Amino acid sequence: MNVNLRELMAALPEDAGAETGPSAEAAQEQMRELAADLAMRRVPINSLHRLWIVGELSAQVALAYFALWMRQGFADAETRKRRLMETNLRLALKMFHRLAYLRGAMTKIGQAAGNLPSIMPDQIADTLERLHFDAPPMHFSLIREVFENELGKSPEDLFQSFDRDGFAAASLGQVHRARLKSGEEVAVKIQYPGVARTIDADFRNLGALLFPMRLGKDWESIQAGFDEIHRMLKQEVDYEREAESLSESRELFQPADGIVIPRVYPDYSTHRVLTMDFIAGPHLAQFLAANPSQELRDQFGTKMYVAWKRIYDAHMNYADPNSGNYIFMDDGRLGLLDFGCIQHFGAEEQELLQLSQPFLDSMDSFPEFLKRATGASDSDLANPEYVGLVADAIGWLIEPAVEEGPFDFGDETHLKHGVERFFGLVRKRYTRGHPMFLYYFRSVFGLWAVLYRLRARVDVHAIFRGAS
Amino acid sequence: MRVTSEAKIATRERLLAAAGKLFAKKGWDGTTTRDIAAAAGVAAGTLFNYFQSKEAVVAALMAEAFAKAQDEFEAERDDGQSLEEDLFACIYAGLKRLRKFRMALESASETIFSPLVRSSHDCAGDSIRVHHLEQVERIIAAHGVPGPLPAVTMQLYWTLYLGVFAYWAADESPKQEDTLALLDHSLKLFTGSLDGLKGAGSHERESA
Repeated sequence: MNVNLRELMAALPEDAGAETGPSAEAAQEQMRELAADLAMRRVPINSLHRLWIVGELSAQVALAYFALWMRQGFADAETRKRRLMETNLRLALKMFHRLAYLRGAMTKIGQAAGNLPSIMPDQIADTLERLHFDAPPMHFSLIREVFENELGKSPEDLFQSFDRDGFAAASLGQVHRARLKSGEEVAVKIQYPGVARTIDADFRNLGALLFPMRLGKDWESIQAGFDEIHRMLKQEVDYEREAESLSESRELFQPADGIVIPRVYPDYSTHRVLTMDFIAGPHLAQFLAANPSQELRDQFGTKMYVAWKRIYDAHMNYADPNSGNYIFMDDGRLGLLDFGCIQHFGAEEQELLQLSQPFLDSMDSFPEFLKRATGASDSDLANPEYVGLVADAIGWLIEPAVEEGPFDFGDETHLKHGVERFFGLVRKRYTRGHPMFLYYFRSVFGLWAVLYRLRARVDVHAIFRGAS
Repeated sequence: MRVTSEAKIATRERLLAAAGKLFAKKGWDGTTTRDIAAAAGVAAGTLFNYFQSKEAVVAALMAEAFAKAQDEFEAERDDGQSLEEDLFACIYAGLKRLRKFRMALESASETIFSPLVRSSHDCAGDSIRVHHLEQVERIIAAHGVPGPLPAVTMQLYWTLYLGVFAYWAADESPKQEDTLALLDHSLKLFTGSLDGLKGAGSHERESA
């Protein structure tokens, strides 16, 4: 039960012995205890227990990242401050522990924090994938009341038929199959009542928890990161916003693309209920179980990349490309689900991304990009180690697009290189960056994680040159 | 004689209807027994032939609403529902019936449901509690836990119910959506507490 956490903790960078004093070790020990406690706790109530299992891994991952920041803080602070921070942090972790234990939305935060960092060992990736189908259940009596509140009618009155049991979990809710009176098969996403409004309060709590870290070097960057998560989470639980993103994205594709995005039915949708086309077909695990040909894997992988790039070119980012959001339709088309987590790039973000565009051919604009994207100072830019490590990481990121011909995403060494480079950056605390990159990287790594499991070969070079 | 009795019933209903409207419009504090009597077209003192206090009027309104809700629940009940789902539907049907004058109930319920107040004027609060708990025991029995249930179990239920009721009466969230969540959590807690009393029951299927 605790294996994932131990692995993750073990994977965390070890600071030099001189920097890690005994107090830091004690705090780390405390962390481990808390984490073990988190893993062992049981709530003697079925549904809550399930909710907890969902939260457990996320909380562990989130805790591990707190540990990461904690070490950064420790390395920077003087001994006295260190002691203070240690105490505060221990209290904060205890509080976080309780919050995560009790609150659905807090779980969601844990989940987001767990997904954001760029690397996920296989087992963790698998477990996180499963979470997308395993959330607190709502029984039909509750769903009926949510419907009455949202649409003024019960599901029985609104639909020709409506499945009492959900078939998938959604952003703090669940998805049911139904049929409209006009005959269309639909998927209806319903949000657990009241939970969206708790996000603001949870982030206020989180702000208090992170308070001990304000002395750390990259505090502003961390804070900006959490503001971004806050913003995106609020967007994710606003189903009206998701309906807009769905409709906008749907318009980008033609039947010939073989990429399907569900149509929204506005008369049956509100900001807490979203009714859209039901897309039939297997998810990744089922698809792989049927042992598909390499050709078929490549075709689906290519469609995934084309979809991601098309949306990206429309100044949006499909920022949660986990395997639960793809349907491998029997006729060879790819279905894209869940448009709650969509980044919309404004002028500033577009300009930054524009600066990185020429990297496919040359790194001339790299210093300028670095300045703008990470706030690097002139002295940072004069530090060859810093520039080298970041350039290395970016080189890894653009490798599939630079390499001519199909890129083999099933190649484990490529993923491992990425993990090494990411840790290289973290170890040196070179992780500052514009907050938009949090979700940008999440989307790239999410996509690659799915492509890795799919063992797909995709001509990313051609897609980026507009040839696909 | 018969006419008198029918007239009495009609007057009582008129008083309750008038009270319901006034409570919905003016709340608990803004409504007096005198207002109710006037709105029902009877003399101020006549009201006291039917109800001994303002609380008794509210209690009668609640009893009436709960009786209707019970019929509704029984009519819509589906055999495939879990215990938790049944209890949820039963309780929420009652709350919905009271929704119109919800704001008046916050103050009134303090007296009506208080275990410390056993005034001589009316035992409507007691009677609501007894009826409600009987219904709950019937629902639980239908899900494989034979009665009588331990007093502690029913006390736990009633405590949770009162908590939900009080929260709902003052719930300021949009369309009282927080009450939905609170009721859901409370019933998970309650049905979880029944685990020791029953074998493999229907609500346990959720743990599968």
